[in-house]
Amino acid sequence: MSQKINRRKFLQSSAALAAASVAAPGSQASESGKTVEAPAIGRHFSSPAPLPAQKGPRVVIVGAGWSGLTMAKYLKKFASDFDVVLLDRKEQFVSCPISNAWIANQVDLEFLTHSYVDAAKNNGYLFISAMAIDLDRAGKTLYTTEGAITYDYLVMAPGIDYDYARIGVEDPEVEQQLRMHYPAGFNSASEVMAIKHKIENFDGGTLLMTVPTGNYRCMAAPYERACMAAAVMKQRRVKGKILLLDGNNGIRIKADGFRRAFSEYYADIIEYESSAEITDIHLEDREIETEFDNYQFDDAVIYPPIRASRVLENFRLADPASPQKEAAIDPYKYHLLDDEHVYVTGDSRSQPFSKSGNTAHSEAKYVAEVIIAHARGEEIAWRSPQTMCFSGVKTDPLESMSIIAFYKFDEMEKSFAFDRVHLMEKWSQRSGQAGLAWAEGMFRDMFYS
Amino acid sequence: MWLFQWSAVLLTTALLSHSVIAAETMTIELTFTPDLNNGRHVYETCAACHLPEGWGSSDGAYPQIAGQHPYVLLKQLLDIRDGHRENSIMYPFVQVRTIGSYQSLIDVVTYITRMPMHPRHKQGPYNDFSDEYRQGKQLYQQYCASCHEDDGRGKDEARIPKLYGQHYPYVMRQVGLIRKGLRDVDPVMKGIVDQLSREELELIVNYVSWLEIPEGEKAPSAGWRNTDFY
Repeated sequence: MSQKINRRKFLQSSAALAAASVAAPGSQASESGKTVEAPAIGRHFSSPAPLPAQKGPRVVIVGAGWSGLTMAKYLKKFASDFDVVLLDRKEQFVSCPISNAWIANQVDLEFLTHSYVDAAKNNGYLFISAMAIDLDRAGKTLYTTEGAITYDYLVMAPGIDYDYARIGVEDPEVEQQLRMHYPAGFNSASEVMAIKHKIENFDGGTLLMTVPTGNYRCMAAPYERACMAAAVMKQRRVKGKILLLDGNNGIRIKADGFRRAFSEYYADIIEYESSAEITDIHLEDREIETEFDNYQFDDAVIYPPIRASRVLENFRLADPASPQKEAAIDPYKYHLLDDEHVYVTGDSRSQPFSKSGNTAHSEAKYVAEVIIAHARGEEIAWRSPQTMCFSGVKTDPLESMSIIAFYKFDEMEKSFAFDRVHLMEKWSQRSGQAGLAWAEGMFRDMFYS
Repeated sequence: MWLFQWSAVLLTTALLSHSVIAAETMTIELTFTPDLNNGRHVYETCAACHLPEGWGSSDGAYPQIAGQHPYVLLKQLLDIRDGHRENSIMYPFVQVRTIGSYQSLIDVVTYITRMPMHPRHKQGPYNDFSDEYRQGKQLYQQYCASCHEDDGRGKDEARIPKLYGQHYPYVMRQVGLIRKGLRDVDPVMKGIVDQLSREELELIVNYVSWLEIPEGEKAPSAGWRNTDFY
């Protein structure tokens, strides 16, 4: 029998403490006369951040991922008079897209790693390595670990966090164990490194991999990752299998292609189960519970559902009605419904677009133009973001398949739906090379030119 | 027969050695016979972005390349490859290590040239009954037609692109880049763009988007798919 450690009470009491400390400082009257809460922790960081004197309208961007980097570059490119500050707590960038190819040694880590200093220097904006702590929208001030930064426009592009509660994990210690021993690999390079290490050292038995429900980051990646891991196992002649448990009722994207790849190349390795949504995990027994069955595993890569970054919630920007805790924003202009000076982009957006690099890149170029137009009292026509993704199915040399799609608003469904989808499920070496060239072009665009 | 003779003229400037002697410019002419079958194979490198049909996107993010003149296409590929046309995203795709060398370029260019064009490309806001259309036509004839021709078919041997069938937002974006000095073009083209106002350019680009694609160059319908890739 597994012994579950229940820390719910501990969690409740610490949550209460946190709530009390936030509520403690008094409220202040803002310029607009409205009463706003003073930033709680922020007051310790209220001296101005050491930035050069502001020259033009200042845009502060929180999060230097695909969205933030592209936004910073194109704001400067399209409006050189803008003062652009990009913020991230990390000091270097390691790409999540193409990291599955790294797992299978089709590219090296250097291919994925780039410097924020290069990006800022080559594109004429300012990068600071700092953490955003609090936000005073009335005072248009962002509090960071480097001090307070005032803005004319704020762009929140903080990415995602995992939501372990949605696979039945409420105990923070169990969550910590999962993050440590069975990381998902969609939020930091160290997670991916741990997975690569796992696959390279796997010596038999069952390697469990999971596909979450909801709009998770990179729709094709869990299936691609199973292929890449299987290719490594095949090469190492490991006697073992990959159990791919999918919480959805079928492969979410490129389904025919992945099905074909599983059966043509990895029939003796990959075992795929659909409609297997995780309901609980017993770590001590290495057992996972789904609605219909329990599964044992020897090692695992567990990808829980995701939600918008917690920083949105901390800054009181998350929409309580949103299942993935995204912000309520104008679906065409990306600003908060009640604040045209704060924008939310990238994987924290509330539109149901694919949470992937090319989508964030094409979207950020458009939103940069939206912000410039707003500052100049103009308007621009909406453009759909563009989702493009290459998925590797075979290695040495890498062979991939691809999809490109746009979006349009469906008036009947009152939501965005795919439009103009071009799915190329015939994989090839050319497409494998094209996927790497795509990534190289993107890195070039964001960092070097 | 889909094979035909094709020659590419390559201008190479010999590198300066670390001595002070300046080398003279050399011209080498190479002749290639396109292999359409290989062109189709190479086009897989392009298809993910430019679509299997080569139709680009109506928002102007990608141009329609299907049916464009071979020398025009080749010039763009070489310009991007060698850094004369700045395009970071396209750059890695046209490097020798990705796409191959001249033979591959000629093969793929030949394949693209022969693709049928999107019959319903994105057009500008003013249709052919409007005053704006008529003004655009007049400006076009005055400033553009001598190179791009009355019907917008361009001139392949002079590397002047075919304009009909191109998505309106794409042409608008390119004209904008030329105006801001962010895309280098032929000095004559640059001179003309510089002397026209934003409004005049918009009228011209609108007119261009309403130029008719000749029947033989169009796909039978917008639902046509290039079955080489699905």
